Amino acid sequence: SVSTSAASGADAEELQKEQDARTVLRESFLRCLLSMTSKKVQFHMHEKVKVEATFGASDIDVLNFQVSDLHTPIGVQKEALIRCQDVISFTFDT
Amino acid sequence: MQCGWSLLGPLQWLRYINREVKVRAGNDEEHRGWLLTVDPVSASVVLVNFRKGGASVQVVMGHAVEEVEVLKEADDETAERLRTTFLPQRTLSLDP
Repeated sequence: SVSTSAASGADAEELQKEQDARTVLRESFLRCLLSMTSKKVQFHMHEKVKVEATFGASDIDVLNFQVSDLHTPIGVQKEALIRCQDVISFTFDT
Repeated sequence: MQCGWSLLGPLQWLRYINREVKVRAGNDEEHRGWLLTVDPVSASVVLVNFRKGGASVQVVMGHAVEEVEVLKEADDETAERLRTTFLPQRTLSLDP
């Protein structure tokens, strides 16, 4: 994941501004993840592999996604963890 | 490969919010949409495309982002739609 602060060594005011920005961005992202729960999500993986699954949850570092009914090329996996490093992008409809 | 995008930081990412952007990612993928937010932890980009009765959401993982190009700014109506996209239907008030 990304380093916690780009503004190390900067003054307190700058740090506060950066933290405020981080808060706004993160809250919005978490609401996005929350709204994905139980939705069908298409994952675009490396090597142009596309799989579909029902989204469950993500860990706080966004390293793994927990999904259900993962449709893989060799069958349906009832429960699975997807490594985020293997994912390029994912899409879903609200 | 870690590219510049992940290293920009929250204050820089904030400038992309409510802009229509084109994101180039690994696998020769290209995504277009309104930028809702950037996760400050993973640098992942959330793009929204509005449709009748809802929206299509694309999330490009931060590690896969190669280039983000700004196309245009949102007008007030689009900015408001973006703001309310993921808000809960009913906000619980803690006031009596």
